[in-house]
Amino acid sequence: MHIDLQTVCRVFEDVLNGSMSREQADRWAYAVVQEEETGIVTYSPHERERIWAGVMYLYGVDTMKAPGQYLHSDNDIRAAMDAKLGEVADGQAATLLLALTSGRRNAQPVS
Amino acid sequence: MTVIPGDDVTRSLDNRVGAGATTERPAFAAVVVQIKQASPASQPLSHERLHQIDRVFFGPFFREKYGRGGDKALENDRIRYYGLIQPTDDGSELAGRRYVHEFDTMTGCTRGWHETVDRAGKVRQIRPERNDGIARHYQFDGNGRYRGSW
Repeated sequence: MHIDLQTVCRVFEDVLNGSMSREQADRWAYAVVQEEETGIVTYSPHERERIWAGVMYLYGVDTMKAPGQYLHSDNDIRAAMDAKLGEVADGQAATLLLALTSGRRNAQPVS
Repeated sequence: MTVIPGDDVTRSLDNRVGAGATTERPAFAAVVVQIKQASPASQPLSHERLHQIDRVFFGPFFREKYGRGGDKALENDRIRYYGLIQPTDDGSELAGRRYVHEFDTMTGCTRGWHETVDRAGKVRQIRPERNDGIARHYQFDGNGRYRGSW
C-alpha cells in the first residue's frame, strides 16, 4: 500500500463534504494503521510524518460523546486538516488544499 | 571427506568403547572460562530497569508512531503510548480524544483504544478497538465511576 499526502487530504475533504462518513474514514485509517504494523505501507518522500498525523487523526474521528453525537465538529476536523497536513515546506499540500477546497469534489472513496 | 590421522571421525558419544581401550590424552587441553554473570541470580533486574531497557529498545519504534503524547510503564510489564490529544471545541467539559497503544513487553502483543478526556485530564470515555470492527463506548464520570456503555 502506498499513501501520499493527497490521499489523506482527500479523505479529510470527503468527510467534510459528506461524501464519506466518519465511520468509513475511521475504518480506512484503521486499515492503514494495521498495514503499517505489518510494514507494508510506503510513503511519499518527506511526507511520512504529516501523513501519519493525518491518519491518526482520522482513526477515531467517529468517536461520539453521546449516542448519535460526534465528539468532533466539522470545524474541529477542518482545523485538524489544516494543522496536520497544511504545513508543507514546499507548498505542495497548501496548493493541494486550495484545490480541494475550491470545488474539487471528484474524489473517490479510498479503499 | 578428509581423514585426520589418529582421529576416528566416525566415533561418536554413542559408540561403545571396548574393554581394552585406553584413555588418550587430548592434543588440546580444554580451557575453562568462568563466565561472569551480568546479574546475580538472586538479584533479578528490577521492573524499573526492565522498563528502562524496554523503552530504549522498543521506544523509538512505538513512540514515533503512537507516543507523541508520552508513555507510561506499567507494573505488569506493559508500556502504554499516548497519542496527542485531538481537541474538540464543543464547549463542554470534554477536552478531546487520544489514541492509546499498549505494548506487552513479555508477549509482544499490542492493543489499542481511543480515550476521551475532560479538561481536568481525566478519562471519561474509552472506545476499545475490537477485531469485529464494532465500536462501543464505555463512559465514566468525573470520579472514575463507570456510568454505562452504548
